[in-house]
Amino acid sequence: MPATITTQPTRTTLLPAKARVAAVVPAASQISLQGVQKTYPNGTVALRDVSLEIPKQDFVFLVGPSGAGKSTLVRLLIREEKVTAGSIYVEGQDLSRLKRRHLPYLRRKIGMVFQDFKLLPNLTVFNNVGFALRVTEGALRHLKPKVEEVLSIVGLEGKEGKYPDQLSGGEQQRVAIARALVHDPRIFLADEPTGNLDPATSWEIIQLLLQINARGTTVLMATHNREIVDVMRRRVVAIEGGQIVRDEDAGGYHAPALESH
Amino acid sequence: MHRLWNRIDFAFSSAWQNFWRNAAVSIASVLIVWVVLLALGSLLLVLHSLDQIVALEKTKASAISVYLADTTPLSSAMDFKLHLESDPRVSSVEYVSKDQAMARFRQLPALDPSVIDTLGTNPLPASLDVTVKDIRDLGAIDQEVRTSPLVDKSPATNYEPNVIDKIILLARVAGIAGLVLIIGLTGLSIFIIMLTIRTAIYLRRKEIEVMKLVGATDWFVRWPFIVEGLIVGVVGAVVAVLIVGFGYRPAVVNLQSVLIFVPLAFDPYYLRVVLAAMLGFGLLLGSVGSYLGVRRFLKQ
Repeated sequence: MPATITTQPTRTTLLPAKARVAAVVPAASQISLQGVQKTYPNGTVALRDVSLEIPKQDFVFLVGPSGAGKSTLVRLLIREEKVTAGSIYVEGQDLSRLKRRHLPYLRRKIGMVFQDFKLLPNLTVFNNVGFALRVTEGALRHLKPKVEEVLSIVGLEGKEGKYPDQLSGGEQQRVAIARALVHDPRIFLADEPTGNLDPATSWEIIQLLLQINARGTTVLMATHNREIVDVMRRRVVAIEGGQIVRDEDAGGYHAPALESH
Repeated sequence: MHRLWNRIDFAFSSAWQNFWRNAAVSIASVLIVWVVLLALGSLLLVLHSLDQIVALEKTKASAISVYLADTTPLSSAMDFKLHLESDPRVSSVEYVSKDQAMARFRQLPALDPSVIDTLGTNPLPASLDVTVKDIRDLGAIDQEVRTSPLVDKSPATNYEPNVIDKIILLARVAGIAGLVLIIGLTGLSIFIIMLTIRTAIYLRRKEIEVMKLVGATDWFVRWPFIVEGLIVGVVGAVVAVLIVGFGYRPAVVNLQSVLIFVPLAFDPYYLRVVLAAMLGFGLLLGSVGSYLGVRRFLKQ
């Protein structure tokens, strides 16, 4: 188990936010959130004060009720949204200082899957995966072997010519995972990846994520799936009301104190 | 090289798909581009023709033909010629006989010689072609020669003081009206191309979302739409170029047969310039329209 550093800054500090976060720069962390706040233009406060360190090759469950801020956290990590205050470092890079034209290169380091798969219905399995390489200007002669490689990782050999609507939900999520893997990402973000899947299929997807993690990729999975989190006994970060309320290694979906009730 | 080819191939195949996926809107924008370029090409050619006429009228402007009555004996005509030559305002005088006048008339383009032969007699008068040193003296000389009994009365001379001014005015009015029309149509066509690109972006919103997610650059996402705008511009331009290119010569020939005294000429060099300008303007419309389309709607 990699060591985790949990910093929960005291809210009564008199130091300005920037000075406070500058004090904490753990070199080992691949993802580092320091005093992150996010307020949307409509006034909704999604994250209040979140600090989190995720070392390389960690496997983290992000749990919490709907609207707690899980999705916002994921969006901030791929810089779909910018922080209101605080800072986020991904592989030592400060995302708030990342220029828009460098954003695509951040996204290539991060594989992403979602609850709704986001596959293109008019493309075959092969082309859905190949699309990610084509649009990032990968050399075309490397496309076929790479697509075949990632499709074999997710166990979809033989389904290359199928269209998404000819596949089961689990298979569609595997295609999405394969697509997220074509750039050999160092970080894998999964936002409710099992949200639309039955329990058996969900377990298959989790096995796949563990396999990806075992290959050296950091995995962060936001989920509501209590059973999976409880059985896995991995690191659990619980968010409620825009704040981290619990961060423990080998944790469960609920805090131990609550479970005893 | 592979990467560049991939980028070009992706942009063109996506653009082509976009073009046909919302064919109705695409064809509307092609039509408006076509109309703009047809107006532009026609205007340039009409103005050029008026320029041709003005240029020729200007060389004729320092001279008038004084028509002599058929009853005038040659000796009187020669005395009149000497009298005119002695005038300090006149630079030269040339005698043109009835036969010479007819020979010149026969040389006019688009005139059927057999029509003249049916006339039997020669209706053209002999004339003294007077060239002056200063165009402003032309009116005074015209007034003087009209008093001479030797001069034919219907008409006495070919003096038409306002013809150049009228043509220049016509060219100016046509130019301004055409320019206003073209500016209006240009704005409209850019707007319609913008709408076309917006529609294409809307139809591709899922692809765009995935492209951004997996790390496509902004320009990789934009290029297909820019190319689509260029396709609209080029298709509209090519149709307009073909029509103007093949229509100019027949138009000039037909006008010559109606307006026999108007010196219109087919100018292949100028036509090439006009066609190139039309193609360039079509590309400009397409790229500006599509750039405005992607600029506003691919921002985040």
